[in-house]
Amino acid sequence: MKQKTEKHQFSQLEIYKESLELAHLKIKTKIFSLFVFILAGLVLYFLIQLGAGLGTILPTMIMFVVLLVINFAFYSYEEDLYNNLKISMYISTLGVYVIAVSLILQYQTPSMFTALFLAYAITSIFQEYKTMILSNFALFVCGTLLIVRFPDIFEIVGTTESQTFFILVFLIIFVLLLTLSSYILIKRKTFFYNQLAEIKESEVRNMELLMEIENIKTNSSLDSEEYYKSLKGFSVELSKKIGIENVFERKIELLKDLKIMKTTDILEKYTEYNSKEIEEIKMMELEVRKKMKMIGIKASKSFGIEVSRKEIFSESQFKSFKHFGDAHYVKIISFVVFYTLLKLDKPYLSALEEDKVKDILYNSEYFYRIDREIINIYLENNMVFDTIIKDHMKGVR
Amino acid sequence: MKTIINRILNTEFLTFNEVLRLKVAIVTVFLFVFVFLSIPLSSFNDFTLDINILVPLGFALILILTLMLMIFNLNRWAMHLSIYTIIGLTIFYVGGSNHFYGYILFFITLTIIIFYQDIITYLIYGGAITIYGVFYTVQNGASILGINSTGIEASLFTYQIILVGFYLVFLVQFIISDNIYEKMNNEWVRMNKVLEKYQDFSLEYLIELSEKNEQDLIYKNVKFQQTISEQAVFINEFFEEEGDNIAEFVEFYFFLHDQNIDDIISDESISPVTRKYSMEFQKYLLNKRSELVSILFNFSTLFKGDNKYDKKRYEYSLDKLFSNKIDKLLSLAILYKYLKTEITQYDKWGKIERVLNHEEITELFVSKEFREFISFEQVNFYLDNQELFEEFL
Repeated sequence: MKQKTEKHQFSQLEIYKESLELAHLKIKTKIFSLFVFILAGLVLYFLIQLGAGLGTILPTMIMFVVLLVINFAFYSYEEDLYNNLKISMYISTLGVYVIAVSLILQYQTPSMFTALFLAYAITSIFQEYKTMILSNFALFVCGTLLIVRFPDIFEIVGTTESQTFFILVFLIIFVLLLTLSSYILIKRKTFFYNQLAEIKESEVRNMELLMEIENIKTNSSLDSEEYYKSLKGFSVELSKKIGIENVFERKIELLKDLKIMKTTDILEKYTEYNSKEIEEIKMMELEVRKKMKMIGIKASKSFGIEVSRKEIFSESQFKSFKHFGDAHYVKIISFVVFYTLLKLDKPYLSALEEDKVKDILYNSEYFYRIDREIINIYLENNMVFDTIIKDHMKGVR
Repeated sequence: MKTIINRILNTEFLTFNEVLRLKVAIVTVFLFVFVFLSIPLSSFNDFTLDINILVPLGFALILILTLMLMIFNLNRWAMHLSIYTIIGLTIFYVGGSNHFYGYILFFITLTIIIFYQDIITYLIYGGAITIYGVFYTVQNGASILGINSTGIEASLFTYQIILVGFYLVFLVQFIISDNIYEKMNNEWVRMNKVLEKYQDFSLEYLIELSEKNEQDLIYKNVKFQQTISEQAVFINEFFEEEGDNIAEFVEFYFFLHDQNIDDIISDESISPVTRKYSMEFQKYLLNKRSELVSILFNFSTLFKGDNKYDKKRYEYSLDKLFSNKIDKLLSLAILYKYLKTEITQYDKWGKIERVLNHEEITELFVSKEFREFISFEQVNFYLDNQELFEEFL
C-alpha cells in the first residue's frame, strides 16, 4: 500500500506555510534582482573591454533590463503576491539561461560556456521545487545542445583530440549531482516550513487539550459573568479618571449578548457596529470563544524561556523513539509503551482502534519517529500486538 | 539501491546524522564514477603509465576507506575524506590533461562541497579550490583557450569571473539560507519549549486527577507492565534468539519510575551500563513530562478541534488582533484579569494552585518577552492606570 505521510497532517498547515514562504520569497526575489544587476554590470564591462559595438551591447543589456523589469512588476503587484512571485521566479530562471546561451553563441568559447553554471548558481537562490526542475532541465538541455550542435565551441588551441564526449559525460554527471543535491536541500528546507507551521497549529491544539484536561480535573470553567462585572466597574472608574463618557459599557453589554444571541440578532440590536467589527469583538467573548483564554494561557507560560545556540539544529530537539546512540532495547520498549498507551482509554482521549493506530503510524510523520526495523515488525504483525493488549489490558484505564 | 532511493524521497524525516550519511553515500557513488572515468581519460594525460594506474587505484582505496568510515558511523570524517578525494581528483584531472572537461571539475567539486551544506567547510575547502582554480587559469590559461577566443586576457577574465562568481553566489546563498533557517529553527525550538510547558501542566493535572480518584498511575499497573514486557519480547525475537533478555530491561524501565533518576545517572559507584540505560530511558518515563509523554500529547491533538484556518489563528498580539482602540483596552483588561484570577502557576509544593499577583503581572507586562502580546502603548496605558487595574479587576 502506498504511503501518504500527509494523510494525517493538520489541515491548516498548507495555508500557513504559504504565508511563511512568502516572506522569504520576497527576500530571495530582491537578492536575485541584485545578482542580475551585478551580472549586467560585469557583462557590460566585458563587452566594452572587448570593444564590442552598440549593436552587440544594446540587445544584451535590453535582455537584462527586461528581466529586471519583469521582476519588479510582479513584485509590486500586491494582489496574490505569492503566486505572482512564483511566476516571476519561473520567468527569471528561463530568462537567465536565455541570456547565458545568447552570450555563449555570441562568443563561442569554452570559457563562456561556463556561464551556464553561473546561471544555475543564480537561479538556485530561489530554492524551490519547480524552479529547481526548470533550472536543471535548462542546464541539461542547453548544455547538451551546445555540445552536440556547436562542438567548435570546445575546440582548444593546439589540441586536435575531440573532447565533446567527455564534456557531455561530465555535464550529465554535474546535472545529476546538482539535481540530487538540490532535491535533498529543498526537501529539508521545505520541511522547516512544515515544522514551523505544524508547531504553530500544535500549540493551539495543545492549549485546547490543556483546557480540556483542566476542565476534567477541576470540573469548573471560567466565570465570564464575573469578568464582565469587573470590566464594568473598571471602565466606569477609568472613564471618570480620563474624563470621558463611558464608551466601554455598550461593548461589555455586547460581549455578554454574544454568549446567547446569534450574529444576525446582534447586528439588529447593535446597529452602530458592522459585521466586521462584530467579528473582531467576538474574539474577546469568554464563554464560547477560546481566543482570550489562549492568549492568557500562552502569556502565563511564555516567560523565562531561553534558547541557546547549542539547541538550534540539535538532533535532541526532535522527539522520537529512535535517538542516535540509544540501545536497541530502549527503542523497542519506548515504542511499545507508546503504542500501548494509544490503545488505552485516557481522560482526554478514548482508546484507539487497531486499524486507526496502524493507519496513523504508517501514513504520518510518526512513521519516521520510530526505528525502521521496529515499525516494520509492528506493521507486519500488528494483530499480534493488538491481541496481547486485549488479553492483558481488558478493563484497564 | 532501493533503500537509498527511498531515503532520498523521505529525506526530510531523517535525522541530521542520517542525512549526512546519505549525502556521503551519494557523493561516494559519483566519485566512483569519476575514478572509473579517469581510466579511459588517462590516455589524454601527460603522466607516465604508472601514475595513470596508481593514482586512480589510490583514489579507489580512499573511497573504500570512506565507505568503512560510514559503516562505523563516522560520517563527518567520511564527509571530509570524500571532499579530499574530489579535490585530489580535480588536481589530477587538471594537472595532467590540459583539457576543458578537467576544468569543469572545479564546478563539480564546489557542488559537492555545497551539497554538504556546511558553511565553514564551504568557506575553507570551497575557498581553497576556487583560489586554486583562479591560479590554474593564470598558470595554464593558454591550454584551455578556445580557438574562437578573441584573446587570452578575455578568456582568462571570463573563466575567473565565472568561477569566483559561482563561489560567491553560493556563499551568499549559504548566508541567506543559514540566516532564514536559523531564525526559523530558533523559533521552532522556543515554541517546542512553550509546548512542553503546556504539556507539563496537562500531565500534572492528570496526575492530580488520578490521586483525586484514588487510581493507580498507569506505570504502576502490573497488567500494563506485563503487556509491555510481552510485546517487547515479541519484537526482540526478530533480532535475538534469546528474546527474554529484554524482559529484564522492561523491569528496569518500570523500576526507574520509583527512583530519583538524576541520582542514578550522577552516582559514579553505579555501573556505567546501568547509568547509560537510565539516561536513555529517562526520555521515555511516564511519571514526568518526558519525550514520550510529549509525543503522546501531540499525537492526541490529531483528534482535537479542527477549526478552519483564519489569518489570526496564530496571532496572540492584542495590538494586531484588534484595530479599535476601545477593543485594545478592553482586551488588555481581560488579559490582566485572566492572569490575576485564573490558576496558571505552580505553588511552592509543585502543585498547580497559584495565580499571579499584581506585581508579577506588572513585571511581565513591562518585560521584553511580553511584546508578543501587548504593545508599548498598551504598557504605557497600563502603567499610567495600574491602580485601577489592581483595584477593579
